[in-house]
Formats: sequence, structure tokens, C-alpha cells
Amino acid sequence: MKFKNLIVYWRTILRVAEITLRHQWNDSFILFAILVQPMLIAILALFMLRGSGENYAMFVVVGSGLTGLWSSLLFISGNSINGERWQGTLESLVAAPIPFEVIIFGKNLANVVQSLLSMSTSYLLAALLFGYTLQMSAPFLFTASVFLSIFAFISFGLIIAPLFIMYRGIQQWQNAMEFPVYILAGFLFPIALLPNWTTPVSYILPPYWAARALHETSTGEGDLQKILLAWGMMLIFSIVDLFISSKLFRKMLYKARVDATLETV
Amino acid sequence: MNTIEVKNLRRIYRATTGVIRRKVKEVEAVKDVSFDIKEGELFGLLGPNGAGKTTTVKVLATLLIPDAGEVRVKGLDIVKDANEVRKQIGFIFGGERGLYWRLSAIDNLRYFASLYHVDPEVSKKRIPELLELVGLKGRGDERVQGYSRGMKQRLHVARTLLHDPDILFLDEPTIGLDPVGAREFREVIRNLQSEKKTILLTTHYMFEADSLCERVAVIDKGEIVALDTPSALKKHVRDLSVVEIETFGIDPKVIDDIRKLPFVDALSTREQDHRQLLLVQTERGAEAVPDLIASLEGMRIGRVTVREPTLEDAYVRLVGGKA
Repeated sequence: MKFKNLIVYWRTILRVAEITLRHQWNDSFILFAILVQPMLIAILALFMLRGSGENYAMFVVVGSGLTGLWSSLLFISGNSINGERWQGTLESLVAAPIPFEVIIFGKNLANVVQSLLSMSTSYLLAALLFGYTLQMSAPFLFTASVFLSIFAFISFGLIIAPLFIMYRGIQQWQNAMEFPVYILAGFLFPIALLPNWTTPVSYILPPYWAARALHETSTGEGDLQKILLAWGMMLIFSIVDLFISSKLFRKMLYKARVDATLETV
Repeated sequence: MNTIEVKNLRRIYRATTGVIRRKVKEVEAVKDVSFDIKEGELFGLLGPNGAGKTTTVKVLATLLIPDAGEVRVKGLDIVKDANEVRKQIGFIFGGERGLYWRLSAIDNLRYFASLYHVDPEVSKKRIPELLELVGLKGRGDERVQGYSRGMKQRLHVARTLLHDPDILFLDEPTIGLDPVGAREFREVIRNLQSEKKTILLTTHYMFEADSLCERVAVIDKGEIVALDTPSALKKHVRDLSVVEIETFGIDPKVIDDIRKLPFVDALSTREQDHRQLLLVQTERGAEAVPDLIASLEGMRIGRVTVREPTLEDAYVRLVGGKA
């Protein structure tokens, strides 16, 4: 890939993200998924775990933010291609000279970044409503974990979107995929509390490694080795996801041009 | 030099029905279509609904894969070289969809400019120019949802010109526009023609094709039934006259009976509020009027006129009087 192309792609990703954010900001469903629902989860968890200590409050803050991230990825990024089809803009995007996955990358970036808001609102809730004094134990490592998590979530979203288009049977399970990942990825409580047979399932979920890195760097409970393992796993998953998604996008777009489904819902 | 070459294009749509016993239903939208468009030419594609016009345009715009045939744009194969073709073309499909309604016109254009490799500095200059070209100067900051249908259609033109393509595919761009909006839109097309763009225009409106296109292909049931200049096409009906009869609440069976009369060459109808206008093409001209009136016995009849045929009449005859 030429360096000039990379600059063009990166510029396009940022522009797509900017426009997507501005376009979505008036959508009440999106506001619910990224702000209201994580806030409700945070309030519920903070009430249930009152008296468990400041560290656990931080765990809940980060965990409820992760629920916002996952919901946003599953519903908003997962449906992003269908959304374009409903608006009649999909044909213009497919016929653009820029690779289609670059456009979807930009849209996922917008969704993931805006859902980080839910983490900030949970933080404010814990501090203002429940009176916790929350301190980030390793702010630099936490920031690096946030960036890697963003990349891992975006890459994972790039697999979900074309899969939802090609295999509508999977999309029918969209709602059923929301809460199991909250549990299996250890967003709100450690997966050590789950039966042993669920652990391998958690390990193959990129959100689990993101949750691990974010929890360990925010609560200070993990050592550097564990953090590096989580980062490494996120990187590996991201690269694999990007590779698979490029194949899926190529297959999906060719199939859509054969089946004439770019316009029809 | 030919900018667009279509040879023996064939495209089939397949739909699956049934849950247990799945059946594949095939519809051959384009059977065997061939035509060329020269550089800088404004070429019209005319045909009734379902004739295969939009399918042909979508194949050319790289949005559909053909089942057979060869389609080249500037010598590039639309399947193998789709990405290169996309840099050279722009397209508009009729209707209001295809824009982000919750964004302003300027934001829509900025967004599409980034997808079409337009340098930000260039797009900053070009967007106001394009808004002026399509008559939306001073309205660019408004959200698209408040635009009229005509304004949205003109914004589509601005969108498609962002990357300054040499080739434009306009699929029924004036459909649904009011007469003033349609006239303004035709003016925009004329401006594009004067800039030496190669344009493929599909339309239902014969006068539009007559006044704009250098050559016209008439497509029916997925096949080209005629291809020539508008004036040459009119010669198909040179020996005919058109009898126009205004009727009120005519029975469709009577229309079928008239169509079968030996001196009737082609017949089409046009609904006008509560009236139906019968357009009968015949070699007998005014002499056919008494027989036609006789076949409408007992029905309320209004104005009856006999006139010279137009391109529309040629089109009606070519597509078998179904328009």
C-alpha cells in the first residue's frame, strides 16, 4: 500500500467519523445506547455494591463504560451498512473509489469514541451521586489501554457489519448477544466468578482483553506482565480481525452486486 | 472515440421463494443490449417501466455484475477495473434518497468529497462553485430535510460533480419534479453538455430526450428496439397521424377493442384528472375519426383532434403502443 494512500485513507476515516458523529447526535436510540443504558447499569451496579470499596467503584465505572462500547458496536456499527441502505446512500458509498471498509472504519471510530462518553458519565455518577473519590492508579497505562481497546473494538466491528449483511440469521441473534458478552467479557465482575468452562469463550472475545487491560490499569490490581498480555492479545485480535474483515467485505460487496441488494432492504 | 461500449449485455435477477421447497424465480431484465457512446455525447435511453434502463445504468455504474456481455468505460472493464472506472464516473438515480437529511448540504458535499479523493483544499473551493452551478447558493448551510424535491435533486448533481468526472449517468433525474424544477434541471444538464461531459440520460419524457439528446436508444423488454437521432426516430411515424380523443370513464375493454381495429397502428392512453386521452396512431388520419367515434358509442366524448406525430409517438410505436 502506498504511503500517499494511507494519508488519504486516514483523512477519509477522520472525515467520516466527524460527519457520522454530527449525523448521529440527533438520534435518540443512539443516545440511549451510549448514554442512558450504561448510566442505568452503573446506578444499578453501584447501588448493589455499596460498601465494596473505592476500587470496586472504579471497576463499575470502567465496566459500565464497556457495556456502552459493546452495545454501540453491536447495534450501531453492526447495523451501519443496513442504515446506509435504508437511507439510499449505500450505492454512492460502494461506488466511491475509496475502499468501503475504510468508510466503515471511520463510522466505527465515531461510534466507539462517542460511546466512551458513557465511561465519563459513569465516572461522574459515581463521584457526584455516590460520593466516591475515584483515582486512576496508572493513568498513562490506562490511556494506552483505551487506545488499544478502541482499535480492538473497531476491528471487531468490521467483522460484525458484513456478517450481519451476508447472514441475516446471525443478525436475528443481535439482541441475545448483548448481555452474554457483558458477562463473559468480565465487564462488571471478574470472570473468575463464572464456571470454568466459560473461560475459553471469554479468551476468544476481544472485549474481554479490552476489559482486562482497562480494569487492571484503572484499579491498579494488575502487574505490567498481565497488562502487556492483554495489550498483545488485543493487537493480535485486531490484526486478525482486519484481515478477515477485508476478505468479508470483498465477498459481501461482490455478492451484493450479483444479487442486486445494494438498494433493496 | 467511444467512451462507453456495451456489447451483448445480459442481466438476470433471481429471487428465491418458499421456505421448505425453495424455488428460484428468474427475471431477465436485460436480454441483449449493445450500444456505444462517443466522447462528449449526450445519449438518451428511453423505455417503459421495467424495460431495463436502470439495470443498464447500474451495470455501467459498477453497482451490478452482468451475467453476460462486455461493458467498457474508457476502455476499462466495469467488473475487473471497477475501482478505476469509479474515478471516472458520476451518477444520479431519480428520487430524494441518497443524501444525509440531518446534515446540511455543505456537510453532505464535504463528506462525499472525502470519499472521492478530492483534496480538502480543492473541495473548499469547489463546493461553493457547485452550489452556485445548481442554484443552491446561499442555502448550503440548511439541513437537507428542509429542501424541496427539486433542491435535493440539484444537490445530487453537485454531489456527483465533486470529483469532476468525465462521464455522467443520469437515471430519470427529473422524475417527480414540478415543471419549473424540471426545466431548471434540464438547464443544468445543458450546462454539463457544454462542458463536454459524456452523459447517459434515461428519461420518460420524450420532449426532454428530443431537446437534449444527440442520439436516443429505445429499450423494451430488455432489448434495444431502435437507436438513432431524435429526428431519424421520428421518421418511423412519418406516414402516420395521431388522433387524440378525450373520453370520460372509458372501459378498458373498449380500449382493447379499438387497439384491435385493422387501421389502428398503435394506441396509448394518458390519464388527466377524471379524463382519459386516447392517442391513436393511424395511416388514415382524419378519415379514421368516424370509425373511432363509432367504436366509442354510448360513451361521453370530449375534444377530438388530429395532429402530426412527435418523438413520443415514435416511441409509443416502437414499444408496441403500451406507454
